[in-house]
Amino acid sequence: MKSIYKILALTLVLTVFVSCSSDDDTATELIGENSVTLEFDNSVGSDDLLLATSSYTNSQNETLTITRLNYIVSNFRLTNDQGETFTYEKDDSYFVTSEETGNTEVVLENIPAGTYVSITFGVGVDQEKYLQGAEGQGDFLTVAEETNMMWSWQAGYKFLNFEGTFTSETVTETTDFKVHMGSHGSSLDNYKEVTLSLGTDALVSDEMSPIVHLVADANAILDGAHKLSLSEQSVIMVSEEKSPLVALNTASMFTVDHVHNGTGHSH
Amino acid sequence: MFLLGGLFSAKANDLLEVESDCIWKNTDFEYFCDTCGCGGNGGSMGFGTGLNNNFIGLRYIGQKYRSRDGIFDNSPWINENFNTVQAWGKFPVSKRVLLNALLPYHFHNRTFADNTEQRIEGVGDATVLAYYLLLSQTPDSLVSIGAEHTLQIGGGVKVPTGSFDAANIEGTVNPSFQLGTGSWDYLFATNYGVVHRNWGLSASVNYTLKTENSTNYQFGNQWNLTLNTYKTYYVSNTISLTPQVGLGSEIFSENKEFGLKVSDTGGEVYFARLGFETNYKRYSFGISSMLPISQNLNNGKVEVKNRVSLYLNINI
Repeated sequence: MKSIYKILALTLVLTVFVSCSSDDDTATELIGENSVTLEFDNSVGSDDLLLATSSYTNSQNETLTITRLNYIVSNFRLTNDQGETFTYEKDDSYFVTSEETGNTEVVLENIPAGTYVSITFGVGVDQEKYLQGAEGQGDFLTVAEETNMMWSWQAGYKFLNFEGTFTSETVTETTDFKVHMGSHGSSLDNYKEVTLSLGTDALVSDEMSPIVHLVADANAILDGAHKLSLSEQSVIMVSEEKSPLVALNTASMFTVDHVHNGTGHSH
Repeated sequence: MFLLGGLFSAKANDLLEVESDCIWKNTDFEYFCDTCGCGGNGGSMGFGTGLNNNFIGLRYIGQKYRSRDGIFDNSPWINENFNTVQAWGKFPVSKRVLLNALLPYHFHNRTFADNTEQRIEGVGDATVLAYYLLLSQTPDSLVSIGAEHTLQIGGGVKVPTGSFDAANIEGTVNPSFQLGTGSWDYLFATNYGVVHRNWGLSASVNYTLKTENSTNYQFGNQWNLTLNTYKTYYVSNTISLTPQVGLGSEIFSENKEFGLKVSDTGGEVYFARLGFETNYKRYSFGISSMLPISQNLNNGKVEVKNRVSLYLNINI
């Protein structure tokens, strides 16, 4: 019978161990600052977006092959579990993500430690920034020119550059489509903001720099809440009627897939 | 009686027992976390067991998985091969207390869609488990007329002797591609067995409680359940053959990182098991395989294809 006591004692000791170790979960205090990486992973529905090599058919029965998907994301704000919002330095807050160059990561530096629960960002360039004039744009003007995200300074930035080919019941020949959406100078404001819950808390501290993995569903651009038929109009650029709908659709294409907490050196 | 015994053992929770020589004899024992060292799909290979024997031996376990490299429906599947050689043994401490010990050596590889290969190799997590025999067979039970029951309960610890590489959990591929969990884990096991003439039935329920490792990653706790039947054929005085069929299941809780649940982890898998053991004098040679009947691991992003095990034990 002695042995059974030994076993019971052992079990008890183990239980204590285990109970103790599971209490540590949230005890860590977050101090310092670190970067937050936002990975914009482009998809078509639940499939990965593959430029030029695969096609898909949307709900309007149009079959698209996408060859370009670039967009501007800007004005990042992070909200923590206390409801406090950290606004990223405005002059550093403009980025182009481009599927063709593979540059789809946005790294926000020097974010104060905290438990972040949601993120807000803009799609495009706001009027305030644009009205600072060409000199006020800093390096971003060059970035936008190099990534085909400018018409001209007067016409302004393309917030979205979405191109490819398509066919449909009425358009049986493979036809190019171009959807370039922007604010068109200062006459039409298509800048939109998006707020997304992160789902999993993103923890920032001297030791922790999280990666937020976002998915942007390119199908939403034409086939989101607002249906835009390419058969009807295959080039949508400066359109007072359609551009605002593209802007709304584009702003709704983002979701957070998951958050990876940790040192976040690679993904 | 069989049913009662099975129910009883299914309620208790504990873990493994490394058994010996006729491994199918009596209880069986599903040792898992040693194999893949880790969470999401701790490769376990059951082994049945002969509660009466003490042994040392070597076992090879091969596990094949495929897992999704990416978050999308058209993300590529990659193949993963988990290989393990483990030294294991069971030693009596007293009449009713047994000690099981196990030290694995892993050599795993996987090939990504771009044909680059990743290999990891090294010692895995060592496990020590003590069993208390609540009910044990009489020595001549194999030829006794009535049914003989055995029941063991045990507890143990898995030591983080295997390395845990945080880089392997950062992507979106199977986070269990590791040599070890990097954590001190605690095991609880119950084994029940009944033998009647040449027939035997065994059942086991094991639970592994996993703790957070030094990189604040915590693999999900794990249940392992097995049920096996076998029959022993005595070819001569020194040779016997024991075929076995059974069922096994593994149920995993979600992994956590910094106390926050990690998406696409956890899940469950149910196996059919087939095995065959040959005993010659003091030696037992066995082969067994496990094929999944149904599974949903890591939200469908990891699939077990099969497991194969070979072992050679020497009774001591």
